Amino acid sequence: MREAFTLLISGDAETWGIVARSVRFSFLSTIFSLLPGVPLGVALAVGKFPGKRIAVSVVNAMTAVPTVVIGLAAYSLISRSGPMGKFGWLFAQAGVVMGQPLLALPVVVSLSYTGLAKLDPRFHETLTTLGTKPLLRLLITLREARSVLIAAAVAAFGRVTGEVGVSMMLGGNIRHLTRTMTTAIALDAAKGDFERAISLGLVLLVIALGVNLALHFLTASGA
Amino acid sequence: MMYELVDVKLLYGQRVALSIPAMLIGKGERVALMGPNGSGKTSLLKLMDGLIGPSEGRVLLEGKTVVKPAPARPRSVYLHQYPYLLSGTVAYNVGFGCRALGMDAREIRRRAEEAIALLGLEGMEGRTNRALSGGEAQRVALARAMATGAEILLLDEPSASADTASVALIAEAIRRCSEAGTTVVFSTHDEDFTRALEGRRVRLNAGRIENDEGGAA
Repeated sequence: MREAFTLLISGDAETWGIVARSVRFSFLSTIFSLLPGVPLGVALAVGKFPGKRIAVSVVNAMTAVPTVVIGLAAYSLISRSGPMGKFGWLFAQAGVVMGQPLLALPVVVSLSYTGLAKLDPRFHETLTTLGTKPLLRLLITLREARSVLIAAAVAAFGRVTGEVGVSMMLGGNIRHLTRTMTTAIALDAAKGDFERAISLGLVLLVIALGVNLALHFLTASGA
Repeated sequence: MMYELVDVKLLYGQRVALSIPAMLIGKGERVALMGPNGSGKTSLLKLMDGLIGPSEGRVLLEGKTVVKPAPARPRSVYLHQYPYLLSGTVAYNVGFGCRALGMDAREIRRRAEEAIALLGLEGMEGRTNRALSGGEAQRVALARAMATGAEILLLDEPSASADTASVALIAEAIRRCSEAGTTVVFSTHDEDFTRALEGRRVRLNAGRIENDEGGAA
């Protein structure tokens, strides 16, 4: 344990490089999951269309799909013989950043939908009676539900930071390129290099704790 | 005629919430909808705004079926009994209706200042929605509706959560708008408030018009 702390405190370049890469991947993946996820959540919350209940159930079910299944689906897309194989994203940083949003997307859609659906019906009627145009309506809706949306972003970040399946299958755990905290922990533990595994585990624990605390305070503050 | 209701029925499941064979409301009229809880006052106001549609019959505004969002004039604004204010200051909320209509910042400020003065909200411009009492929130929402210059105001118990001073301010603001040509239809249980506004009284009971003092139908 002492060696693990020493690795962190001494500023070990490889360890902190892995941390920085993981955070960068997670940040980008969160952004790429929010871009389609929030509008989809809004559409589910305010839209009226046949099959809406089924769509909501599918989205909620998708939040529980194991990461390796998502990884496998994404792998089949970007592998050399797959439909997106020509881009060369497999075992590259782009592959991880393309695959992780697929994991976070259902979380973002589900939380956005749940939060937006809870908005007071008077809010929607007020915007309607005042003749609010669609774009302003969308912006004001996002503004009113901002704490829910921030919570969705934080949850998405937590989901991708802690996952191992997608990073391993699409990134290949390549040193200095696609190795993340979780894939490094898996590899180091298998090799018996517990110092680095524990040090990265501690950082992951701090991030997970931070994410959960942020979620707690954001959801407690309400929409 | 501004409003014309023809064989209007509104059903909630099997229950008939409203059944109005005919009702006319002229331009610039001041109409008080009275009656016990559940008599259909709120439903009628929402029908007139197009927020809900009738199960049967037609609600016509200057000969055209009412739909929201209304693409053309005359424009109506409905005010909830417990109005919804957006997160933000009084000034932001009062100006929001004008912003929703695409007015420029200068025009929004001018209209918001006028409405704030009309409803006695001076000095409260910077207060947030969460720091307002029920009566203050009611006045802010009324100011927001009035600032838009809507030709029709549909007000659901505008004096319900207001204290005596606020009620007087609200009544005076409604009177001024009405005298400027705005059609005002409001629901209320308050006889004094109705008397203060001196207009037509329509009494509803179980979704039907029981009495219409001064009505065209």
